[in-house]
Amino acid sequence: MSQENLFPQETNFSPENEIPGIRAKIIGVGGAGLSLVDGLRFDNFQSVEHLAVDVDSRALADCIAGEKLAFGRRHTRGMGTGGEHTLARKALEEEKDIIRKKLEGVDLVFLLAGLGGGTGGGAAPVIARLARDAGALVFAFTPLPFSWEKSRHSMAEECLADLRKFANAVIPLPNDSLLQMGGADATALECFAEAGRNVSKGISAICSLVFRRGMIDVDFVHLRKAFNRRAGRTLFGYGEGDGKDAIRQAVRELLLCPMLHLPDVSKAADALLILITGGTGMGMADLQQVSTEIRQEFKAGEHIVFGAHVDENMGERVQITVLGATDLEAGAPTADVAPSAKEVIASLPKSKVAHSSKLKKEKLAKPGKKVSINAPTNKKVALDQNTFDFMEAENQRGIFGDSPCRNIYAGEDLDVPAYLRRGVKIAI
Amino acid sequence: MSKIIGAVEIGTSKAKALIGEVAENGSLNVVGMATRPNEGMRKGEIVNFRKAAAAVHSALEDAEKMSGTTVDEVYLAQTGSHLIGHELCGSASIASSDSRVEVSDLQRAAQEAKRKEPDEGRTYVHHVRRPILLDGRVVQDPVGMFGSKVDLGYWSIDGENHAIELALHVISNYSNIEVKDLILSSIASSTMMAGPDLRRAGTLVIDMGAGVTDFALYRQGFVARTGVIPVGGDHVTGDLSMGLRILEPYAEKLKIEHGKAVSDPMDEGEDLWIIGNKTIGDRSIPRKAITDVIHVRIAELFEILSKELDGLLDPDELKGGILLTGGASLLPGVEQIASKILGFTTRRASFPSGIDSELAKPENATVLGLLHYGLEDHGLPGPKKEDAEKGFIKKFRTMVGLGSES
Repeated sequence: MSQENLFPQETNFSPENEIPGIRAKIIGVGGAGLSLVDGLRFDNFQSVEHLAVDVDSRALADCIAGEKLAFGRRHTRGMGTGGEHTLARKALEEEKDIIRKKLEGVDLVFLLAGLGGGTGGGAAPVIARLARDAGALVFAFTPLPFSWEKSRHSMAEECLADLRKFANAVIPLPNDSLLQMGGADATALECFAEAGRNVSKGISAICSLVFRRGMIDVDFVHLRKAFNRRAGRTLFGYGEGDGKDAIRQAVRELLLCPMLHLPDVSKAADALLILITGGTGMGMADLQQVSTEIRQEFKAGEHIVFGAHVDENMGERVQITVLGATDLEAGAPTADVAPSAKEVIASLPKSKVAHSSKLKKEKLAKPGKKVSINAPTNKKVALDQNTFDFMEAENQRGIFGDSPCRNIYAGEDLDVPAYLRRGVKIAI
Repeated sequence: MSKIIGAVEIGTSKAKALIGEVAENGSLNVVGMATRPNEGMRKGEIVNFRKAAAAVHSALEDAEKMSGTTVDEVYLAQTGSHLIGHELCGSASIASSDSRVEVSDLQRAAQEAKRKEPDEGRTYVHHVRRPILLDGRVVQDPVGMFGSKVDLGYWSIDGENHAIELALHVISNYSNIEVKDLILSSIASSTMMAGPDLRRAGTLVIDMGAGVTDFALYRQGFVARTGVIPVGGDHVTGDLSMGLRILEPYAEKLKIEHGKAVSDPMDEGEDLWIIGNKTIGDRSIPRKAITDVIHVRIAELFEILSKELDGLLDPDELKGGILLTGGASLLPGVEQIASKILGFTTRRASFPSGIDSELAKPENATVLGLLHYGLEDHGLPGPKKEDAEKGFIKKFRTMVGLGSES
């Protein structure tokens, strides 16, 4: 589907129709992607389809996704890629028409792919490109291997850079940090499961934003507008609260979410999506207060999507999800529609340079500086007593954020906290 | 007549300036000392010239004020992961007809050793002399002895021109001060903390700074190896900030007030407040979390050190054990981890007597060592040539072909 005929559909949107004509697809690619899809707790959105893509036909057979697609039979005879991402990429490029068919008419794609594996690492960037090409908004959630898995790790970084060229937002989920999830004595598996639940909550929050009527409503066009450019670093966090002070508790938990406290995670966002789901008791004043706090917290720029939903089943619970991205094309005029993948590809040689140089600049720039350039709306609003003053962006970019280069020793970046790299769980 | 001499250490967390007065009898008296927080550095390297220069200048100014004099020559400490050490060797056959070693033989050997040029874009920072061998035997001073061949070696450290230039530039920007010489930080602090006896017995001195950890291994009184690991106390703070999800200043405060590198059964179940005033935004965290974060980082640091010194830690050559100094060595428990990982008795180094108690802090080991090292004679045995009068900047300029300024 081309982008021109996307708009008539959106203008057809009518309030009495609970589900506008938006189609979303969750695509799991490769081993880690499939298990994430399997772990999703579906909220039964009728317009959300599930597609599993793998070269391994046996793994596909076990997957519960509605649609399945095996590719690369010619190269792998239905077995795995053995970690060869170039093989997976080549195979998928050859069969891209089938994928293209599966992406027809889809407006929103959630791509779940482990980048440390051959299939996920090789195929995810291709699928993202095809999806962008078909006019979809692409959010990718990508588990990354442990940093001690050195060769896999460097391959994953390569694939991540590739994927970032096409996806609207890529949320890396490094295994190192996933171990920090969950309670104090959670086992590794429980930690991964917890991370999977967070991803699924994130996806279902975005889906409910798009598909359900809410207290504070946003539609798909808003979402598209906010994330229409190529994203640089992203942030993704989740917090939940219960009881009388649920919303405050949820904010507190959100700010402590391990996924927000990784060396590579942005501490500021040019585009920010805030989603709050709560029970019937959720008050408007609280929502407003919380939204201001979160905006300030992430030094949000002009592109903010704020949504709030009431779900009777929530009781006194409140969930907050944030998804943000820094803008790689900062300063570029805002296009109303994302450039199609074709445009992106056409400008690749140039944009590749721009991509790397901008990332580098981001590393070199003083923390906070970039934010102030990108976010003219970053006015200092007096913080009241309730706001958490312990997270000034200046300090939270990580202590070595202004270091000119990475501190590599035997393949590991020594500036990344040792406990993360060693998989030592810190219970706070 | 007494002589005034200065020492400057551009440290990652603090810039330090020290002014000493050398009496005619050679005794050293510290007459001025100042420390300024330095925000212009990361991991031992200057990332913000103006901030680093401001810190150094204000430290120099205060030290001069305190001493009531001005200083025109300083020794400057060098560290950073750009420094790389090599073993250089040279030899010369004895030229004289009666086979007596003359100073010129040593000089020829030294010339040969130093003939190897550093790589493009790099300059020697420091040549540390290794033992002199006369026909294969170690001798203190072979001049006048009989033999056929002398071997002479250096442990030579070179660094990136760019980094060295920056550091020199920080100093030369301050009135008309000259850098008399660059001295490796690890050698400065080990000169201070390990006396000649310890160095002869063999010792490893580990200087744990804010940005980097410097080490120097001595065998039979000579430097056998030096190195810089770009991990220091700042990494502990950074890890705490990320692991406990708190602001850096609070992480730093927690580290200094409550940080431990090994857990203590007494602390089981104890909680600590981050800010301490229990206001909104303050929260409590288990002490165990703090200790865990620190432990992993410190253990990793010593593991890297152990890898770097692989095969060099020989019990027969390390009778003096391991000494820890530097600000980060104040963390309780670091010596236990070092002993366990490196396999040798490790203790905190203490200053020799006679150092003012105000100054005798581990974080001052390098800057004090600079003066002491600078005063010692590290040249070849024999009569001294007076060409050392040239400051390091001029030497450096000639070395990198910038032309000397007159």
